Amino acid sequence: MEDDISGIIVGIMVAVLGLVGLVMASGAYDSEIFIFGLSVAGFAVLFDIGLIRRHHDRRALARHRGGKHG
Amino acid sequence: MAEPMQVPIQYNEAVVRKFVIAGVFWAVVAFLVGVYIAAELAWPEANLGFSFVNFGRLRPVHTSGAIFAFGGSILLGTSFYVVQRTCRARLFGGEALADFVFWGYQFFIVMAALSYVMGYSQGQEYAEPEWHLDLWLTVVWVIYAVIFVGTLLKREEPHIYVANWFYLAFILTIAVLHLVNNAAIPISMYSAKSYSVYSGVQSALIQWWYGHNAVGFFLTAGFLGMMYYFIPKQADRPIYSYRLSVVHFWSLVFMYIWAGPHHLHYTSLPDWTQTLGMVFSLMLWMPSWGGMINGLMTLSGAWDKLRTNPALRFSVTAVGFYGMSTFEGPVLSIRDVNALAHYTDWVVGHVHSGTLGWNAFISFGAIYYLVPALWKRSGLYSTRLVAWHYWISTLGIVLYISSMWVAGIMQGLMWRAYDAFGFLQYSFAESVNAVHPYYVIRWMGGVMFFVGALIMVYNLVMTVRSPSTNLSASDAGQFGPAGAVVAGE
Repeated sequence: MEDDISGIIVGIMVAVLGLVGLVMASGAYDSEIFIFGLSVAGFAVLFDIGLIRRHHDRRALARHRGGKHG
Repeated sequence: MAEPMQVPIQYNEAVVRKFVIAGVFWAVVAFLVGVYIAAELAWPEANLGFSFVNFGRLRPVHTSGAIFAFGGSILLGTSFYVVQRTCRARLFGGEALADFVFWGYQFFIVMAALSYVMGYSQGQEYAEPEWHLDLWLTVVWVIYAVIFVGTLLKREEPHIYVANWFYLAFILTIAVLHLVNNAAIPISMYSAKSYSVYSGVQSALIQWWYGHNAVGFFLTAGFLGMMYYFIPKQADRPIYSYRLSVVHFWSLVFMYIWAGPHHLHYTSLPDWTQTLGMVFSLMLWMPSWGGMINGLMTLSGAWDKLRTNPALRFSVTAVGFYGMSTFEGPVLSIRDVNALAHYTDWVVGHVHSGTLGWNAFISFGAIYYLVPALWKRSGLYSTRLVAWHYWISTLGIVLYISSMWVAGIMQGLMWRAYDAFGFLQYSFAESVNAVHPYYVIRWMGGVMFFVGALIMVYNLVMTVRSPSTNLSASDAGQFGPAGAVVAGE
């Protein structure tokens, strides 16, 4: 339960950071901010995909332990 | 009546494993870059004519790589390991929060290194990243603090083990130092350029208040936390004196924060402030040695283990180097000694006796303990290779610091030498030429330390992969059920 709530809060926070990164990259005056902004957006996408994957892994494990295969 | 059954706690060891892997990886990267820039100093043609590999850009990659990437990853990883086991509580905030701290911290390191080689820097030592990276690190660090404090709050042990006090001082003080020293106004949200809110001598004072306390709280308090957990564990002995650990903790955190001005002797900083920094640095000697004595005396009755356990040898030698460099530091802070030593390679040697001898060695000791424990192996693949790592690294440090002592004192003496007419006896270029052989010796010392790290990597990989370290049924209880491991043990 703690893992699910934490996943949702962190997932939303990282998504917001990713959007800020995209905004920064879109108006960047220098290559540093351009690269940083895009990298933050990429980080957010990969991190949130990881959260989703682990959420489904946990559910599958719970089903497996509960004897409900599939 | 039957005793209530203790439910084993499912510790979050996955995040600790990730930090250990990252720490080992960054150690190799930081040492390699260090060896390369040492070669650039000895043979300037090693610059290869590329701006992104010149000394000015790679130096912060090396320092940040060694301190924040290698040291930071090991500190964060061990703090998560220690706080869970000594509090008998799983990390607060769930897996996602801890994962964000891991990946967010690694992202910061990569982006900072990229930023340095691209030529972006605030120009403040150990605080080179520009404002956007500082903000990112702030987010990561606040979440790290929330996890650590949250875990302490939900502990099932009645008292907070001393290692956690040191980790807590490290976490909270680094947060304050980072926020205050990096206070800057960016010229735009879309530009990396920013201006510090401080100027002139105030800027210098804030920078060295930050810089010295980065040494005090990142490289000292945090690693003392590591020492207070892993040396008793490796030696299988309780801490020599719990009271001494509490006394030296409070005196250390009180005194360290005032010592920064010794970096600004003979500058426009007011004289009284310089003297204040010097006096507090001298007073720091006692609490520093309190920690050293406590670490070494913990081995009372277990010194024989140094013969058979080379990983413990790393930890104990680290404490010896800690004592040595915390004696040398106050000596260097004395104004008259500083007049000779400042801006010379003596200071570089001093820093490396601390970082290589103390920080890296105590980390190696912890890593050698943690890898079999975290990957559930019966032990290390080869203690013989650990011994090779130990001796080659120790010899590398000796070459490094002794060459820098000679080079630094020689530089200091050459720069202050006058002839009969009152003119400087040597040009600066002559002093550069004079230290060349010592720069080559320093490079050799660095190469040896790097080779030692490669030996460690091979040993750790084999520890995890080799069938010879598989845990047999009889060994299965070696690390104990998670819930049975208690504070202080």
